[in-house]
Amino acid sequence: MPTMEEYAAQPAAQRLERLTRTAAQLTAAVEGRPETVMARRPDGKNWAPKEIVCHLRDTEEAFGARFEQILAMDVDPRLGAPTADRWAEERQYLRNDALEAIAAFRTRRDENLATLRALTPAQWNKAALHPVRGRMTLDTFLTLMAWHDDNHLDQLARALEGKA
Amino acid sequence: MPFAYYARLSRAQQAVYRKSDEIVEVRLARAGALLPVVEELGAALAAEDRATVQRATERMIRALTDELGVSPVKVQVLAARPHAKWGELHGLYTAERGRTPTIQLWMRTAKQRRVVAFRTYLRTLLHEVGHHLDYTLLRLRDSYHTEGFYKRESSLFKQLVPEAARPPGSPMSALSADAWFGVSADARLARLARMPDQVAAALDGRREAALRKRPAPEAWAPTEIVCHLRDAEELFGARVAAILENDEPALPEAGPAERWARERQYARHDPRRALEHFRRRRGESLETLIALPPAEWQRGGEHPSRGRLSIDMLVAHMAWHDDNHLEQLTRALEGRA
Repeated sequence: MPTMEEYAAQPAAQRLERLTRTAAQLTAAVEGRPETVMARRPDGKNWAPKEIVCHLRDTEEAFGARFEQILAMDVDPRLGAPTADRWAEERQYLRNDALEAIAAFRTRRDENLATLRALTPAQWNKAALHPVRGRMTLDTFLTLMAWHDDNHLDQLARALEGKA
Repeated sequence: MPFAYYARLSRAQQAVYRKSDEIVEVRLARAGALLPVVEELGAALAAEDRATVQRATERMIRALTDELGVSPVKVQVLAARPHAKWGELHGLYTAERGRTPTIQLWMRTAKQRRVVAFRTYLRTLLHEVGHHLDYTLLRLRDSYHTEGFYKRESSLFKQLVPEAARPPGSPMSALSADAWFGVSADARLARLARMPDQVAAALDGRREAALRKRPAPEAWAPTEIVCHLRDAEELFGARVAAILENDEPALPEAGPAERWARERQYARHDPRRALEHFRRRRGESLETLIALPPAEWQRGGEHPSRGRLSIDMLVAHMAWHDDNHLEQLTRALEGRA
């Protein structure tokens, strides 16, 4: 699994191609799994498989909103802190259907890919100030997304086996 | 529950406050006779002529003071209203010893210089008359903005604009977002503070299966409405935070709400947990807003389809949003779309 640094060294086209595969990888991982497995948390604090899928769906929406904000502004916007665990609780991920969540992820992902593919070279360098990661250009966001996909696909494979 | 400033009042002032808070209505024995005067005022405002509005406003206020048997008040209608704390000043009541009290009203907004919406104008007028009544009719030593005060203002409004008096919900349930913009910040915050309990009362004793039932294929079930309130509150908080963290940021297009309902699978959520999370988010919003210096309410951001949105406008919109969805929730619980 490439690190953030290794992904950052890849051409944008290669990273974009990596993003196109994730929805199918998620479907392949969860298809045919019983509800008991999908809703099972490996331990007290780690997410169940369906929570991981919902996290990817909602993060994808948040990425899209950030892209929109960055592209609309002349200065770097300051972003709020990420709230993934709170979303999992409030949006009741454990009650969601995983395949429906993947379908929604796929749509959001396609929208983000369309946005990113249409960027001019100058736009790739537009950025936001992330409270944890500092200044992030759209190019860095693409790197983060590729790594984030890998990271959660890996977590998903473990969670399906009941491992943290 | 009294507003936060109650704690800062002296004991004598607190007694006046409590008395004001207890009185929730001002009855007009012959409200019907006043309706033509209300209509005339609406027509005058539509004509956009200051002198005409001045005359119609005088007649309206005189009709009210005569009807209630209190001393008259001087009326002055001015053009563009000035900026002031809590956004823009809409009206002013001044009473000095030995002089006839004066009500000043502004007929144009400060920023856009548009003539204010009729309901906003009438509500402001009744608000200032309310101060006069506090002294002359209720014989209070001071005129505080209590919840009772706003209820009295609403009771007058509903008698003069009968279609505003429809159930259910808050006394201000018929106000548009624009009209809410003309209502004081305290009253808007009080409206926001009531909402979680109102939703809880609506859901009380209902089974989850009943709450999941859509009244029509395209209309949300009660559960979906509660989830929408929860997520809308999160968005509201995020927008306010973005406005405060940045200088006039771009505010992303969000949702749309129907898409959230589908993607986030609202129909599968537990409505009572959704309500608790809405309550928590709403509490956080109120905490932020109450702590905000008044001038900060004018900060804003640019929305791609709705234009510039200030915190002041977002709060007015949220007050309207509460009214709107509380009505929708009531209908959905009765199986109506």
